Amino acid sequence: MSSLVGFLSLVFAIGINFYLFLSRYIFKFQKQKFNLFIRFSSLLTLLSFFSLMYAYVVSDFSNYNVFQNSHSNKPLIYKISGTWGNHEGSMLLWLSILSIFSFFFSFTKNIEDNFQKLTLIIQAFLHILFGLFIVFTSNPFLVNSILVNEGLGLNPILQDPGLAVHPPILYAGYVGYSIVFSIAIAGLFQNTDDEWLYVAKKWSLISWTFLTGGIALGSYWAYYELGWGGWWFWDPVENISLMPWIAGLALVHSLMMVRGEQAIKKWIVFLSILCFSLSVFGTFLVRSGILTSVHSFAADASRGIFILLIFFIVTGFGFLVFLLKEPKKSNALNLLFINKVSALVINNILMIIATLTILLGTIYPIIIEVLYNKRISVGGPYFNSTVIPIMIPGFLLMSIAPILSWQTNKINNSKKYVLAFIILSILVLIQSYFLDFNTWGFVGLLLGFWIILASIIAIFSSYKIKINIKFFKIINPHVAHIGVGIAIVGITCSSVFQNELDFNLSEGDKFNINGKTVLFEKIETTNEINFQSLRGKFLFDIEKNQSKEIEAGKNYYPVSKMITSEAGILHQWNKDIYFILGDQKNNEWFVKVLINPFVSFIWLGVVIMMYSGLIAVSRR
Amino acid sequence: MNRIFILTPLIVLLVICIFSLVYLLSGKDPNKPPSALLNKDVPIFESSSLYNAKDIIKTKDIKNKKTLINFFASWCSPCKIEHPLFFEIGKKYPELYLLGFNHKDPTSDAKKYLEDDGNPYDFVGVDSDGLIALEFGVFGLPETYLINEEGKIIYKFMGPITMDILKNEIEPLL
Repeated sequence: MSSLVGFLSLVFAIGINFYLFLSRYIFKFQKQKFNLFIRFSSLLTLLSFFSLMYAYVVSDFSNYNVFQNSHSNKPLIYKISGTWGNHEGSMLLWLSILSIFSFFFSFTKNIEDNFQKLTLIIQAFLHILFGLFIVFTSNPFLVNSILVNEGLGLNPILQDPGLAVHPPILYAGYVGYSIVFSIAIAGLFQNTDDEWLYVAKKWSLISWTFLTGGIALGSYWAYYELGWGGWWFWDPVENISLMPWIAGLALVHSLMMVRGEQAIKKWIVFLSILCFSLSVFGTFLVRSGILTSVHSFAADASRGIFILLIFFIVTGFGFLVFLLKEPKKSNALNLLFINKVSALVINNILMIIATLTILLGTIYPIIIEVLYNKRISVGGPYFNSTVIPIMIPGFLLMSIAPILSWQTNKINNSKKYVLAFIILSILVLIQSYFLDFNTWGFVGLLLGFWIILASIIAIFSSYKIKINIKFFKIINPHVAHIGVGIAIVGITCSSVFQNELDFNLSEGDKFNINGKTVLFEKIETTNEINFQSLRGKFLFDIEKNQSKEIEAGKNYYPVSKMITSEAGILHQWNKDIYFILGDQKNNEWFVKVLINPFVSFIWLGVVIMMYSGLIAVSRR
Repeated sequence: MNRIFILTPLIVLLVICIFSLVYLLSGKDPNKPPSALLNKDVPIFESSSLYNAKDIIKTKDIKNKKTLINFFASWCSPCKIEHPLFFEIGKKYPELYLLGFNHKDPTSDAKKYLEDDGNPYDFVGVDSDGLIALEFGVFGLPETYLINEEGKIIYKFMGPITMDILKNEIEPLL
């Protein structure tokens, strides 16, 4: 029953959007009525999504999708997240988020009626494309042809609270760029005033903040669930999310700085189209199963071709309009050796090069396989040695960019910065000398700390310190950059100064980590609702009264016959001690311990960036 | 000049779409990477039987007969899915030699697995250190190879074999 409701409301919603799309040419609507229709179709799409979720919650195995991906023994939260833990459901989530964005956009004030309408018509067009994709190739409401009492279960690796919320947040980022795309295209069609830039800024900030959160959640999940001790693997799907993120970052910065320069406006339109194109391209790569990765769902060529077609239409349409209706040129950029505009241009060029480098590395295997019928994989070494060096000048620039002037080459208090930089370099050099010297470690630490320090100097020397909301809004760019600096320090330390220790241990053995005694207490197996768990229990620092307990082990999921590893992580502010329980051999367990310094800084940096994103949304 | 700059995204888009389309239409499947070993001689191997350490199988023992080599392990759940299909293959093609390689598995687990689910193989070779799999370029379990009478690898599949694959891809070669 719920499946029928879901399917009908989905089809009905697509129908309304089709009607609205035609309204540009045939039926003319009043603004009020038009908006009502948009909202109604959004609610229908959501109804469709919640019908599917309901089928999951009540374990309605007459729905084929629920049968394939759920199990009545699963805890409620994973039944809910099971809704989007599969291809069909996740595409419906995609469409629902698109609808939510259209819904909220229809309430935007301060923009011209026709402009808003045109934006929403483009949204309706996107809704139709993806809606048809779902109905024809990925229908989550198919009826199960056999009568069953039990489902086949959800991929156990996905049964994790962090991952339950990862897709919706990530999608909110990806799909959020649809609004930015539609605004930009509408802006090209109707050469209105610059008001739309402020609207676009708000939405691109929202999307970027969500995307940041989604990527961070995914990478945090990879960190503790995959049990490899790292948090970024240059997996194709990670790259796919990183591309719109970087392009979106360039977009946000361009939007912040626009002051009527036509050249920048043109660039903004280009970036807006690019961001959404990369999002759709990412959807294509993941959904077609063309790349193998931890995210791959079943490969299906017809799906792949359909979504490739959507990608082609959306991106081709976007760039074609850009080509034909390109904003007219007028005043040139006020480029000086070092002012805000030149910093922005350099920053944008670097970010675009980085995006293209990642794009090349991601699609290169496809091109090679088509041409030479050979399979190659492009991995960490390529990306580390190309993307990171490209970004370094950008990082250097960002430390001072917010305090540069628009009109002149002058940097206020330049002596202070030079002095601070020299002192900092010496300190980091001394630090590197006492630890093992490592070039990347030195560069990363210097950059990270320099960004933090320069931003703090800028805050204290350029503004009067007050504790009120307005002050936090003014210093927000610096705060965002401090977040980046903190994340860079975390990334550098955790990757360059990671330390690995291997042990073969029997129960009751004591061993030493960084001068602290650790007791391998016991191995424990328990039966949970939907899995069996094997845990090694460790007591860290037993000489102290408050020794900490760490559990590392594996889970076995009988329904899907899968084993997942569960790393045991002791979080300390300056390091994570990461336990991985390996296999047993001759009554001894193989235990790997990774010491990851300053990992928490990465997450702290990300949280600060997201905070700044939110503050920036409210700032005009 | 400016025009070319604006045209670039469209050209890039076209190139990406063409390559992706060709890739999709050519029926390439991430589960079926082009193997460097395809149409080459089967790698030289030597392995003892799971049930009798003195019973050795070597590369030359599979010459002059069609052989299906399957890498499996008791800890590999997709292997369990394809397992019953090997009984059908064995029944339908009695002259086909079914060689299983037990990959990185404790002997007791492997024996128990074949006891519980049955043993469809003509010979179960032990590959406890994974060296034979390395020679064959195994990506992950299960993996299946078809060797012709001349000892050349004529087919390779990654992942569990299904009825469709058996019908459409393996049987035409038998």
